[in-house]
Amino acid sequence: MPVVELQDVCKSFRKGGEIIQPLRHVDLRIESGEFVSLMGPSGTGKSTLLNLVSGIDQVDSGRIVVDGTEVTTLSRSRLADWRARSIGYIFQTHQLIPVLTAYENVELPTLLLKQSATERHRRVDLALEAVGLADRAAHYPRQLSGGQEQRVGIARAIVSHPRVVVADEPTGSLDTDTSEQIQELLQRLNQELDITMLMVTHDADVAAIASRRLLLDHGKLLETDLNEPGKTAAG
Amino acid sequence: MLLPWEYGVRNLFRRPIRSLLTLAALATVIMLVFLMVGFIRGLEQSLVISGDPDVVLVYSVNSEESLENSAIAARTPELLTSSLSGIVQRFGVTHISPEMYLAARVRTQDGHSGFGLVRGVKQTAPLVRRSVRLLEGQWPGPGEVMAGQLASTKLGTPVESLDIGRTIEMEGQAWRVSGTFAAGGSGYESELWCNLGDLQTAAKRQDLSLVAALLEPGASVAEIQLFCKQRNDLELRAIRETDYYASLQQYYRPVRMLAWVVVTLVAAAGVFAGMNMMYGAVSGRIRELAMLQAIGYRRRAILTSLVQEGVILAAAASLLAGAIALVFINGLAVRFTMGAFVLRVDGVAILIGCAVGLTIGVLGALPPALKALRQPVATALKAV
Ligand SMILES: Nc1ncnc2c1ncn2[C@@H]1O[C@H](COP(=O)(O)OP(=O)(O)OP(=O)(O)O)[C@@H](O)[C@H]1O
Ligand SMILES: [Mg+2]
Repeated sequence: MPVVELQDVCKSFRKGGEIIQPLRHVDLRIESGEFVSLMGPSGTGKSTLLNLVSGIDQVDSGRIVVDGTEVTTLSRSRLADWRARSIGYIFQTHQLIPVLTAYENVELPTLLLKQSATERHRRVDLALEAVGLADRAAHYPRQLSGGQEQRVGIARAIVSHPRVVVADEPTGSLDTDTSEQIQELLQRLNQELDITMLMVTHDADVAAIASRRLLLDHGKLLETDLNEPGKTAAG
Repeated sequence: MLLPWEYGVRNLFRRPIRSLLTLAALATVIMLVFLMVGFIRGLEQSLVISGDPDVVLVYSVNSEESLENSAIAARTPELLTSSLSGIVQRFGVTHISPEMYLAARVRTQDGHSGFGLVRGVKQTAPLVRRSVRLLEGQWPGPGEVMAGQLASTKLGTPVESLDIGRTIEMEGQAWRVSGTFAAGGSGYESELWCNLGDLQTAAKRQDLSLVAALLEPGASVAEIQLFCKQRNDLELRAIRETDYYASLQQYYRPVRMLAWVVVTLVAAAGVFAGMNMMYGAVSGRIRELAMLQAIGYRRRAILTSLVQEGVILAAAASLLAGAIALVFINGLAVRFTMGAFVLRVDGVAILIGCAVGLTIGVLGALPPALKALRQPVATALKAV
């Protein structure tokens, strides 16, 4: 059973008079524990694909099943509830709330789960530990470096123990060193916590940490091989 | 599930100056509401307290509702006493108070002047006007007046101008202030009382304005009313005092309505102040609100949190305004056409003030919040 499955997904936007169709009859299966990277020229629809998988955007046609739930049939509030349980979202810029501490930022998604305060605190501690920021729990975002902020953002994405984490250019606004730390972290989380990852990136080096690499071009998904970039298999 | 409460509180400190200015604006608005409601409540209260259910007023049928215009024969009290059985009699004294009531220009010793309400009474007056209590000094002797504790407010003169021993001038005559009295918040407190005979002489009148009589418990006004009807040559009418003041309440209805209109307008201004702040607060937070939706918060939860934010600020403003109102507005004496009364910031006023405050918070936060949440999450996440 794949954790993420897209069947014949189409998505288009109307922009002024013209219609852009970033996704044309896209099929995709991601198995549990896979780390999938998604590359492609700017404006091809990579973010759009992530947004469809995480249920914050709706398909025109086709079916998306994530972790056994057919997200394409859920109402907006059901989708929100489902996201809280099943999806972690890592943003390009950390998107931390400036008036909340690192700890409180990470705690936000757990408040949506039905669990005791003890369990919640345990999970937040674990998540902060996993990203190596246990000692920064009480800091506010402005007291953290860019890389630390992104790590808090990652802790927030994994704290609810989602089956799938989507990341939209998680290293896109970081310098090389920091980017490498984040890459390592993502890889470690994928391997140690068995989180299925779907990550968009513009950077071939970043894409290389994934166990499987995809390319989105002209509305189609192509599998690429690291050694033979451009060589494709049907997506 | 809702966002933590601290989120709303701390958000207010994101733009402290703006929040503070809004707080000040809202507190001012709510203060004005307290002021208006205090005014309405004070007016109503003074009219309610002024009526004694056991007292019946007998005055001229031709006077409409204003006792100053009433003129009745000087022998009316004797006629009433001899013809009626329901009036209290104790130790040979009939509890009936013949009174002359008029509005007169009063000039004080220090040169101030204003329109005062003057009541000429006899020694029996306190038997009928049971709320009247001498605070200081003495019952007026010949050529003397005693002043209600709000009389100076009614005149618009300094409080000291009616101190005991001072002289005032009215009806072309000089009067010495002999004492000060309270009357449980009723209308008498804005009046000047003197001896009936003195006032009649000074005003060059022989008649009375009204007769107030204390009824035996259980006695009916109907008997007196019947008497007035039978002796229609006397042109009298009788009304229970509480009914009289209830009709005055009717008379002041337009004033009260106007006050309520002002309350509404002022509250609307508050809503706009709140909205202005919340638009500013929310517009810089579009991405953050989208992020919250992306991690699983329902729109309703976020909406609630934003409304909470507005309500917290409005509640703080209400508290501030309430404290100020209790200290500075409550008990403030104000002058009004038919007398003076004190503003009352009572439970009802507090309730209304706080309700207005909360409404401002909710109504001010809703439109900006709804606007921010109308955008699709995917688009809002890209907002700058
Ligand atoms: N809400 C929208 N309305 C109209 N057009 C949109 C909308 N969202 C995306 N698009 C268009 O759809 C296309 C795909 O957008 P998307 O953001 O998915 O691209 P991307 O591959 O993530 O690009 P980048 O690498 O620059 O982030 C773009 O041409 C974009 O302009
Ligand atoms: Mg993108």
